[in-house]
Amino acid sequence: MSTETITWRDRAATVGEKVQNQLAFVLSDRMALVGVLVMVSFVFLGVFGPMLAPHDPIEDDIRDDEGDLLRLEGPSSVAPLGTTVYGKDILSQFLAGARPTLIVGLFGGLGTGVLGFLVGLVSGYYGGWVDEVLMRLTDLTFSLPFMPMALLLLTFVTPSIWLITVIIAGFLWKMPARVVRAEVLTLRERTFVKSARASGAGHLRTMFFHVAPNVLPIGFLYTAYGVAWAIAAAASLAFLGFGDPTTTSWGRMLRMVFDSGNIRVAWWWVFPPAIGIAAVTTSVFLIGRAYEEIINPEIQTEQ
Amino acid sequence: MSDFQRFLAKRIGIAIGLTLIAVTIIFVVLRMLPGSPFESLITAGNLTQGQVDEIMALYGLDKPIWQQYLIYLRNILTFQFGYSILQSQPVWDILAPKLANTLILLVPALVTTAVVSTLLGMYVGWNRGSKAETASIIGTTFLRSTPVFITAIFFVIIFSYTLDLVPAFGMRSITATPDGLLDTYMSMDFLHHYILPFTVTVLFYSGDFLLLARNGVVEKKGSEFLKLHRAKGLSENEQLMRAGRNSMLPVITYFALRLGMIFQGLILLEVVFAWPGIGRALVLAIQQQDYPLVQASVFIMALAVIIMNLVADVLYAYFDPTVSVSGGGA
Amino acid sequence: MSLLEIDDLHVTYSTGDGSVHAINGVSFDIDEGVNYGLAGESGSGKSTAAEAVLGLLPENGTVESGSVTFKGQDLLALSERERRDVLWEDIAYIPQSAMDALDPVMTTGAQIRQAIQTHRNVTKSKARDRVQELFDMVGLDPDRIDDYPHEFSGGMRQRVTIAMALALDPDLIIADEPTTGLDVIVQDKIIDKIIEIQDRIDSSLLLITHEVGVIAETCDELSILYGGKVMEQGSVDNVLVNPTNPYTMGLKNSFPEIDNVDEDPVSIPGSPPDLSEPPTGCAFRDRCPFADEECYESHPDLVDLPNRNHRSACHYVDNAAQMRRDAGDPRTWGIETDTASDGDHERGEVILETDGLEKWYTQSQSLLDRIRGDEPNHVRAVDGVSLSVRKSEVLGIAGESGCGKSTLGETVALLEEPTGGSITFDDTDIEEYQDGNMKAFREKAQIIFQDPFDSLNPRQTVRRLVGEPLAIHDRDRDTRARRVRETLERVGLTPAEKFLDQYPHELSGGQRQRVAIARALVLEPDFLVCDEPASMLDVSLKVNLLNLLRRLADEEDIGIIYISHDLASLTQVSDRLAIMYLGRIIEQGDTEAIVESPKHPYTESLLRAAPEKDPSVSRDRVLLEGEPPNPVDLPSGCAFAPRCPKAQDECYREEPGLDAAGGPNQSAACYFPVGEDPVADDGPATDDAGTGSTPQESD
Repeated sequence: MSTETITWRDRAATVGEKVQNQLAFVLSDRMALVGVLVMVSFVFLGVFGPMLAPHDPIEDDIRDDEGDLLRLEGPSSVAPLGTTVYGKDILSQFLAGARPTLIVGLFGGLGTGVLGFLVGLVSGYYGGWVDEVLMRLTDLTFSLPFMPMALLLLTFVTPSIWLITVIIAGFLWKMPARVVRAEVLTLRERTFVKSARASGAGHLRTMFFHVAPNVLPIGFLYTAYGVAWAIAAAASLAFLGFGDPTTTSWGRMLRMVFDSGNIRVAWWWVFPPAIGIAAVTTSVFLIGRAYEEIINPEIQTEQ
Repeated sequence: MSDFQRFLAKRIGIAIGLTLIAVTIIFVVLRMLPGSPFESLITAGNLTQGQVDEIMALYGLDKPIWQQYLIYLRNILTFQFGYSILQSQPVWDILAPKLANTLILLVPALVTTAVVSTLLGMYVGWNRGSKAETASIIGTTFLRSTPVFITAIFFVIIFSYTLDLVPAFGMRSITATPDGLLDTYMSMDFLHHYILPFTVTVLFYSGDFLLLARNGVVEKKGSEFLKLHRAKGLSENEQLMRAGRNSMLPVITYFALRLGMIFQGLILLEVVFAWPGIGRALVLAIQQQDYPLVQASVFIMALAVIIMNLVADVLYAYFDPTVSVSGGGA
Repeated sequence: MSLLEIDDLHVTYSTGDGSVHAINGVSFDIDEGVNYGLAGESGSGKSTAAEAVLGLLPENGTVESGSVTFKGQDLLALSERERRDVLWEDIAYIPQSAMDALDPVMTTGAQIRQAIQTHRNVTKSKARDRVQELFDMVGLDPDRIDDYPHEFSGGMRQRVTIAMALALDPDLIIADEPTTGLDVIVQDKIIDKIIEIQDRIDSSLLLITHEVGVIAETCDELSILYGGKVMEQGSVDNVLVNPTNPYTMGLKNSFPEIDNVDEDPVSIPGSPPDLSEPPTGCAFRDRCPFADEECYESHPDLVDLPNRNHRSACHYVDNAAQMRRDAGDPRTWGIETDTASDGDHERGEVILETDGLEKWYTQSQSLLDRIRGDEPNHVRAVDGVSLSVRKSEVLGIAGESGCGKSTLGETVALLEEPTGGSITFDDTDIEEYQDGNMKAFREKAQIIFQDPFDSLNPRQTVRRLVGEPLAIHDRDRDTRARRVRETLERVGLTPAEKFLDQYPHELSGGQRQRVAIARALVLEPDFLVCDEPASMLDVSLKVNLLNLLRRLADEEDIGIIYISHDLASLTQVSDRLAIMYLGRIIEQGDTEAIVESPKHPYTESLLRAAPEKDPSVSRDRVLLEGEPPNPVDLPSGCAFAPRCPKAQDECYREEPGLDAAGGPNQSAACYFPVGEDPVADDGPATDDAGTGSTPQESD
């Protein structure tokens, strides 16, 4: 497509402007701004957290000056966020635990968004039996209860972080798929889509050049929501004891404190992972809501 | 055959098909994956020969896999879930009270949150841009996006451990030995245990209803028909009610969908609060490898989802006067 | 004392980028029992004025100054609660789009009852009786008061809103574009209904519309608004017969008239004023051919013309007679006229021909019916249409909504698969194109759609939009850049550079439609289908578009099918006309022949239904009974027979062929064509307005 270069360059010029426009809402919405700040810190933690951790979260024992193991100690100079019942450093666990959370969230969300977007797009655009088959498939994932099925699967297959990501995306793609499909169904009837076909555009061109760009914002939105859902789902699974046993994640930390029965005393053990998860998922939704307000013309009023 | 009957027949057909597929998936996971749990259960040697024989016969484990499948289908679709391996009791006897415990927590909570949050959502949607709107959106966004077990833990720490207002665990005091339904569910002791999980459930599900109602009202607020209502001299409240009535459809269908998903949604809550419901029973059964129990609870949960999906579809068609159900025109 | 006095009203809207000064000092009075018209193009502030009176301005709209006095009471000073008591009890409202104005989840009867019971303390059954009475009054079946809005057609829903407005015998009814979006025959019936009801009750009416003709027929006085200013006001007979303001002249001249085939309507070039600042000079100065420096300095006052109920805001009122003469000439407005374009130009060879073309939709069937092998029901959207279009010819296709004209357009453009009959394009059967040669067809045949706001992909720039057909048909880059530029300028988007990088939302309605046309023309097609391309545009823009299409046919030898419900614009642009009713062509022939002597009774009623903009000319109404039937179970025989005022037994027995009547340049499918039938004279076809209305009335 060398002949497209001019238009591509034009696009590149306008893309910058578009991205700016799309992100402008963040600045105008204080909730979204806070959300973005939280997300930026979270990504930073996810990437660099394990390197910043002062101790190995699992191997290293924390001892006091006398060499005694510090079990279930509150925050101190040795362990700024205290220690676990096994004498491990909670700060290090928290820092290291950000990465698995980020991985599940990022890839679970992306998988959910991309898979759901494509299914919704194809299903809505082609209609007929393609739609019938794909929609029955989403009906099926809707009727299989996520939690019990995931628990069942993870009982027999050793959980790993990637497997959990796949299972989560495999259950969550139905959400964007339905919404995108509904949107495509109305877009398909819009005159400009007919007009594209009238000028000789094939199905692929019409679908990807004319229909897809107009549902892309919804795709983005549900990818974002997918990130939050995936993080929440992975944390829930880990809390029930179905997480990846080889890594420290925030959900697994909560399981440890809950299982050991120390929830009553060890607030320093509960709060870092609990607040971490709550902050991240809430932030994603706050950003998503602000974004939804600008892409949903029906909610938007003339102001 | 009217359009509505035709529609109903189609949806029921789909629901039956989905049930069969769901049941089949449970079978595949429990029997055919490598290291089938039943095999390992028998080879592990924890059971007496008598128990082993009983299990073999009940599930037809000595027969070819397709016959096992047929036996399994017959059993599960007639609700004959067999015996719990560990508790030597019929599965149904174990699950029935747990199912009741779950429902008594969930149904009232869901109804409460649906009514209260919808009304609140309508109100803040009407007063768009107000402080109440911003606050309710931040609040409910936090509540619905945070995994429910984290909210539950926060609440336990605050209200049970710090303020010592309500008990943290269980459905009744250890000393309580209620007999009869009335005594079980209508005592102060029960209520005392009930408040915390009930509140968390109400709050967790509030966000979706609030946003649905709010978006609906915001969307309707600029509509032509509301302008005509306004011109007719309807009061502000009457206008809001009309806007609300016009946004009710998604709320009603969402309510039905949520009702179907409550069992699974509350697994985590039941674990945190040690609430003796079906979700906690499932987690315990998986940990204890009590597969008949696992099989039955997963099946019940899937069936609830399928049935409530069906109900949601039918409600939608029924409550929307613009969807023709009379069988007349196209 | 007048019933309603509006004095120096100013209304602004606050928007994201500043404010819009929608009304800038409007004053007018409505006396009791008077029908008052408010005319203007979109953006003139006419609806805003109504909303200000009703207190229904959107949240971002503010009345800056001025007063609205109703029966001596200042409406703007009322509290919310006091205003609610005035609304409907004293001032009722007929909203613009009846399609969306009724609450979809409430029965129509309940909505009217709600209006009654909000203001009067009556029992439910009393209120119901009143609703039935009202239904009867507006010509609706009183037994249908428990039906939901979606069970009514557009015209019937408008009747419901009229019934609602009449519920409490208000002193003033404000009707905001009550007929916009309705078919011409339905519109005519609604206007007739309004006039009839007005004769019986003594309410005043404030009618807001962009159609000068509707006001000419229904109102006693009017104001013409432009840019939030009153340009001219007074009695309808004075203002519309002898306009003294250049804008009124332009507005009046830009309405095409059906019976004036030879005279092109004159458009007003340019676009409505930018109202982000309150206008300093005359609001119309930029588009006015007579404007000079004085017009830029100050807005002219509304001055009384001597001895008449007539006021005009123009610095050059004294020159009115001269201006009137000049305004009739397109050259005055800077529009070049090609004298060659009209009348007998050469028509080229046939480019497209259909023979018995059918497009039937199958209704969905239950599994049981399918197993039983029952014949499925068909919606016969296009049912045996034979027509031909030559190069450099415009074939107009007219009909009401639902008659299948749009489906016909999409079927000949092969966007819909025909289910029967044949299409020959450029001497080749379309099946040959469909055998893997569609690209060749798409290159030569193009279609332009109705809605300029929807026909362009919102996420593409004009450059990409217009260039896309070229990319699809493998033109190289240089050709593309050049052709895009050329085509944009050809459709009047000059300079092209200004538009290339704009997105559709940055363009005005008229500009968008031009981009859509450019997209269709960029491949230099031989054949063009235009599906109501002008229906969403303001009058002045509409005329521009029609002139452009006419020029394309004349100068570039394109064969055009122009589909519209608007006979007036069709007669302006078409060489030949085809009238469609329920999927069939019932009359076809040279435009002039059909306009001068329609043969089919349906054609006649269509032609007669258009309102007359000159109040001094009276018009015979032909009011048809009922509405077109459902195209699923069509009656046998002539499809029009059940509504036809002169149908005989024969009409029900067998369907007349298109050759049943007519002459050398005209043919009609009717056994008893207009003008050739002795019975015709005492049929109800020529009754005076008011008495020949719908027969459901029982009083």
